[in-house]
Amino acid sequence: MKFLCVSCDEAMKLMEVAPPDRGSLSVVYRCPTCAQEIAMLTNPFETQVVSSLGVQIGADSDPMDGESRCPFSSMVPELGAPGEESSPELRWSPEASSRLANMPEFARPLAKAGIEKFAKERGLGEIDLGVLDGARKSMGM
Amino acid sequence: MKGYYDISGDGGSNVLAQVDAQQARIAQNLSLVRNLLAIGSGKGGVGKSTMTMQLACALRRQGYAVSIMDADLNGPCQARLGGLRETILLPGASGATVPTTESGIGVVSMATLVPEPRAVEFESVATGSSHTWRATKEFTILRELLEGMDWGKLDYLLVDLPPGVERIVQYAELLGPTAMFVLVTIPSELSKGVVARSIEALKQTSNPILGYIENMDGYFCQDCQRVKPLYPAQSSIQFELPRLGTLPFDPALAAHCDRGGSLADLSTLPSWPLLQRIAEEMLKRAAELTPSEETR
Repeated sequence: MKFLCVSCDEAMKLMEVAPPDRGSLSVVYRCPTCAQEIAMLTNPFETQVVSSLGVQIGADSDPMDGESRCPFSSMVPELGAPGEESSPELRWSPEASSRLANMPEFARPLAKAGIEKFAKERGLGEIDLGVLDGARKSMGM
Repeated sequence: MKGYYDISGDGGSNVLAQVDAQQARIAQNLSLVRNLLAIGSGKGGVGKSTMTMQLACALRRQGYAVSIMDADLNGPCQARLGGLRETILLPGASGATVPTTESGIGVVSMATLVPEPRAVEFESVATGSSHTWRATKEFTILRELLEGMDWGKLDYLLVDLPPGVERIVQYAELLGPTAMFVLVTIPSELSKGVVARSIEALKQTSNPILGYIENMDGYFCQDCQRVKPLYPAQSSIQFELPRLGTLPFDPALAAHCDRGGSLADLSTLPSWPLLQRIAEEMLKRAAELTPSEETR
């Protein structure tokens, strides 16, 4: 989708994407010539078109951050998993976080919960690559 | 006034670039997988999933490195069949580690994430419209599995497809033109009629179809140790495809599947020689259609 400033006949530039609000995205565009700004306000169906592709408007081509696309997130609390939020007493090393981010996004909440449970049971305060290896070994991987 | 194609780029949304980047990552992630083999039918309840696991066992027994991707997100079976229901996906060095059965077969199935009897729920920001987006979201999840699992070096990645004739072409598109298809039917006219539609649908693609397997072709009676008929011997529907083999319904095999039995257990069952023969026919046919298969 592109936006054209009709009076300047100039392509407008995407400036800002606000976080989703009840399924609606607010995307601000500005004309580089006259500085006129407009906002594209999507309805939930339009938002879903993009989110169903597994991408985000204005995101970098290397994804892995931002809003969860987990189709099972409503189940996470029932499974005893804390979801995307880390336990406050546990730290994740950058290397371990990076490995988690390389997993399919929908599988991350359960993986994170399982690893944190593994770490807590062993009284560990930080999750690093060694803990990830230990968790995998404990599951026979 | 300028039109869409007068303006370079995509307006800053970067949506197309993200989709392209994802495709590139999938190709990279599957670069060490020598053969993609999709097991489908179009018809439900004909034994696609059990056949997929049994073929994986037969290939594994021959020394091949084999994994299964359970593409049936809504009725996933492979975790149970592989005895991996209590496993979760965990991060490895290059994506999520693929859980393996005790026989060494990798299995990725939604059933490891969603315990029975829960159903997978496809959430949607457009409240009450999840049905509208289901297919798109399903294929997004499958792309993420292809992209985000550490498949590693494999001789065969078997993809257990869900039922649905119209979707078989979509899976062919997802897996790419080198993915080979094997179709499973039972001898009934009802099933064969649906499988005939799948064959016709796959003609729209350039994907090779290795052949079909006739499952539940008779009933293996454990009392008399003989195969007895389940369906009329003659069918009015004939496929212009090689029949890779037949497998009778075997209660011992069904029990083995339900408990997620091992390859060692499977190889003691009367059906095992038939499964091995089907796998051999499948490999022979694959070699005929892709002569350089061994060197790929």
